[in-house]
Amino acid sequence: MKVLCNHERLREGLALVNSVIPTKSPRPAVENVLLVATDDALELVGTDLEVSLRLRIEDVKVLEPGTALAPGRVTSDFVRDLVGETVELERDGDQLVITSGADRCELPTVDPDEYPVVAHFDAAGSLSLQAGTFTKLVGRTAFAAAREQGRYAMHGILTLVEDGVLRMVGTDGRRLAVASNPIDADSGPPRRAIVPTKGMQTIVRVLSDPLEQVQIQFGSNQLGVKTRRAEVFARLIEGDFPRYAAVIPSETNHSVEADAELLARKLRLVSNVTTSDARAVRVGLRADRITLHGRSTSTGQATSELEAVAKGTEAEITFNPDFIMEGLKNCESDRVRLEFNERTSPGKFTLGENYVYIVMPITVDL
Amino acid sequence: MDAFYASVELRERPELAGRPVCVGGAAAGRGVIAAASYAARAFGVRSAMPTARAQALCPDLVLLPPNFDLYTAVSREIMAIFRRYTPLVEPLSLDEAFLDVRGTERLFGDAVAVGRAIKSDVLRETGLVASVGVAPSKFLAKLASDLDKPDGFRVVFAEEVRALLDPLPVSKIFGVGERTAKRLESLGVHTIGQLASLSRADVQRRFGASGLWIHDLAHGIDERRVSTNRVEKSHGKERTFEQDVVDREDLRRRLYGFAEEVAFELRDRGLRGRTVTLKARYPDFHTITRSRTLDHATNLGPRIFAVARELFERIPFGPLRLLGISVSHLEDVRGPAQGQLFEGAAAPAPVADGRLERAQAGLDRLRKKYGGPQVQMGTSLSTPERR
Repeated sequence: MKVLCNHERLREGLALVNSVIPTKSPRPAVENVLLVATDDALELVGTDLEVSLRLRIEDVKVLEPGTALAPGRVTSDFVRDLVGETVELERDGDQLVITSGADRCELPTVDPDEYPVVAHFDAAGSLSLQAGTFTKLVGRTAFAAAREQGRYAMHGILTLVEDGVLRMVGTDGRRLAVASNPIDADSGPPRRAIVPTKGMQTIVRVLSDPLEQVQIQFGSNQLGVKTRRAEVFARLIEGDFPRYAAVIPSETNHSVEADAELLARKLRLVSNVTTSDARAVRVGLRADRITLHGRSTSTGQATSELEAVAKGTEAEITFNPDFIMEGLKNCESDRVRLEFNERTSPGKFTLGENYVYIVMPITVDL
Repeated sequence: MDAFYASVELRERPELAGRPVCVGGAAAGRGVIAAASYAARAFGVRSAMPTARAQALCPDLVLLPPNFDLYTAVSREIMAIFRRYTPLVEPLSLDEAFLDVRGTERLFGDAVAVGRAIKSDVLRETGLVASVGVAPSKFLAKLASDLDKPDGFRVVFAEEVRALLDPLPVSKIFGVGERTAKRLESLGVHTIGQLASLSRADVQRRFGASGLWIHDLAHGIDERRVSTNRVEKSHGKERTFEQDVVDREDLRRRLYGFAEEVAFELRDRGLRGRTVTLKARYPDFHTITRSRTLDHATNLGPRIFAVARELFERIPFGPLRLLGISVSHLEDVRGPAQGQLFEGAAAPAPVADGRLERAQAGLDRLRKKYGGPQVQMGTSLSTPERR
């Protein structure tokens, strides 16, 4: 294998693929990056066996097609710190030689046969949509996904396609974000997958051009995404996702609308007096305003108010302010609406069109 | 109190006066010394030392099994004496406490007079010797109480703080353990005076937030108040095995037992915790701890075990001398509770884990009635492989 590449392209590509490659793995071969030079392009492949990425660089001159399996981190770091405009990659026996002007390094390689098979994107039955639609929904839901594994498969994002709508759901059992977006007429069967958060992050990184039409393939055990230059495969999470639709209140007694940015600011203000162990802010609904009250036994208490338009009688509900602030960060309209039935039932925040965020309140026993 | 457990034992058994006496576990069971009388200390015997080692140092050592009920009773008497002089008593352990005596001058005289009075009350009423340190802050008071042990009485006035601290080794600072002391030594810092002369920014850069803390203490600055409602910070259970244990399955089973015990104690005290810490000691005494903080606080044994086990599987393989679990980041179960969207959604959620909670409550009742080991989850009897 012998290839001449544009330094900038190669640097970017290696950095991207390296975000997938683990530094330590029980299967050492995957600590490497697989370089595949075909007639007209150089492919970089990385995997941690959960997420796989195949990236194609076309601004190259292939002098000799072939493959090399070289240490991921070092290859990427060395190329990153080069200064020349072109870089030559050459496999010489069992070494990978990287040259750029007067700079050169030789790295040990591993037999490419030891590398796991990384699938190729199968376009049959795949779905076509705009990259920006996909990344937007990930951004609106991923923050609410669980970090730990629990009884339900909540450490990933439920991704659904049904009736011409792409919907994503993230929840950690205490709050839940649901966002959806119509996509171009799709007559196929409903599709469903729970995609691990890490896989979603890699997909989002690859979908850098929001206007690009990309292909999505819902496989039986993985989700595949294909762009002009990349293919990503994320192994799916098996297990039951909780019945999320059942916890979204459809009718509510109390409803209030306020300026989203102002609410976030006042929440941050009041939560300054709460401690990290007991994050709780009481939200009071009055006819024309929202009152906020935060207190902790060790640091004191704080109150604030903001103008609002409320429906229903006066009411109070207590939330972890961090949950609300995280949701408000993604609020796409100027106004936010909060609805709920009682102080012990879920609060529903409407953060935009086709975007709701459900937060369970904090209750104090006794 | 000086050599508290040993002194209490000596008081109970006057015939042992003058002999080297220790309270601790038997060497055959790989016990350690909990307290050593001053006669024993003359032989180099120290608390936390393996009993076998202590007996090698001092062949005539009188080893007594600990009698915690007795020590607790004596501790209560001593604390009661402290409370005659001020309500602001912060116990540090059974035999140590901080007292804030500001504002009691008209009743009892200044702090020095109070210190003397307490020392003589304790001796007269319990027959035990206390060491007293009187100083403007907690750190200095504790330091002062240790300086003239045994039977010490030391007053540190604000103007002599520098002269007192400067020549002391850095290890005297609360928060400077073996590791930090070594790192300081590698910087050429041996004494508190040398540490105090480093720039604050430099110490922070090297040691982070704890650097600021030790730097403050090196200057004698300690803003901590004496707090009577000292809340428990952690609950744990650890054990030194009679013989090193190699079998992983056996270790896991013991770990399960510890998790159950810690969980039971937490429930008994109305607490739950968020951080689980695993402690393991290898035969060469190399000790490691690994922690993980959960999203939700828990006081359920299986949950604590699941986390401890994950940590356990990641520590280096090998025979272990000691294994333990502790749970910290404690909170009151009656405190505010984060609601759950789905029944049983997150295993650690204390409110939603209905079935396990109810089973646990039943087990707790049995446990209280018939004692611990008789009532156990099936998991701890067979293999805890399945979750």
